Amino acid sequence: MSMFNRNDNKETDVSAPDKPRDVTSASVAAMPKPVQPAAAPAPDLSAAKSAGPSVISKALKITGQLESTEDIRIDGEIEGDIHGVAVTVGSGAKVKGSVYGQTVELAGTIEGKIEAKKVILTSTAHMSGDVIHQDIRIESGAYIDGHCRPGTNKTEYKPTVKPN
Amino acid sequence: MSHLSKAITINGDLESDGELQIYGNVRGQICADRLVIGPGGFLEGDVIARDVHIEGRLEGRIFALNVTLDSAAEVNGRIFHNTITVAKGARIDARMPWRPPSYFETLETLPEARQ
Repeated sequence: MSMFNRNDNKETDVSAPDKPRDVTSASVAAMPKPVQPAAAPAPDLSAAKSAGPSVISKALKITGQLESTEDIRIDGEIEGDIHGVAVTVGSGAKVKGSVYGQTVELAGTIEGKIEAKKVILTSTAHMSGDVIHQDIRIESGAYIDGHCRPGTNKTEYKPTVKPN
Repeated sequence: MSHLSKAITINGDLESDGELQIYGNVRGQICADRLVIGPGGFLEGDVIARDVHIEGRLEGRIFALNVTLDSAAEVNGRIFHNTITVAKGARIDARMPWRPPSYFETLETLPEARQ
């Protein structure tokens, strides 16, 4: 029998006898097939979890460009441009850069530009910069320092970064 | 917990005190408490974290106390670790230097920058 076969079926038989000083071989033999990660319990990574909106939590800071063909919710801090479909900037979130999307809802702070078909500035919004929109709603209490102007129809999303 | 879905592409650095799950494409450096690269996720860049769990692809270096590589993992680079678990079937083309826990405690920036 060659040593270098991938012993897919009888790994438990092989590992036990001729490895005297190997402490781990005992635990390997005891725990035969499904190798469970020991250090941290594996999270439930079902296929459904890979879909759905992206969430940038309060603890996360991103320096760079974000592009998504789906929705994004931001509660953290971002320095850079954001391209999304429906972009929600939660209260407490900070964005330094331009935000592009079909719908942009702002409850936090943006220093830069918003370019979207539909823009909602809620009462806690703090917007420093221009807003280019087709449809805008500004709630009482929102801070805005910049021009609001109806945009051209060129708010089409064009990904510049190729997925790998 | 931050969740980056498969529709997202990020070019830049990420810094988090909590858990970060990547199902999309990220190019850049990551600092997090716990990093999960889910199935279909791809990271090109270096990671500093306490726990790293990979079920996707990684091209770069890992600096983490605990590393688990799932059977679907594909890793290319270096894995600086204190404890590591590799599932059968994982594709790894990497050096895996062991380091004592004290090495990771002071790790804020990338220490061994030489490739």
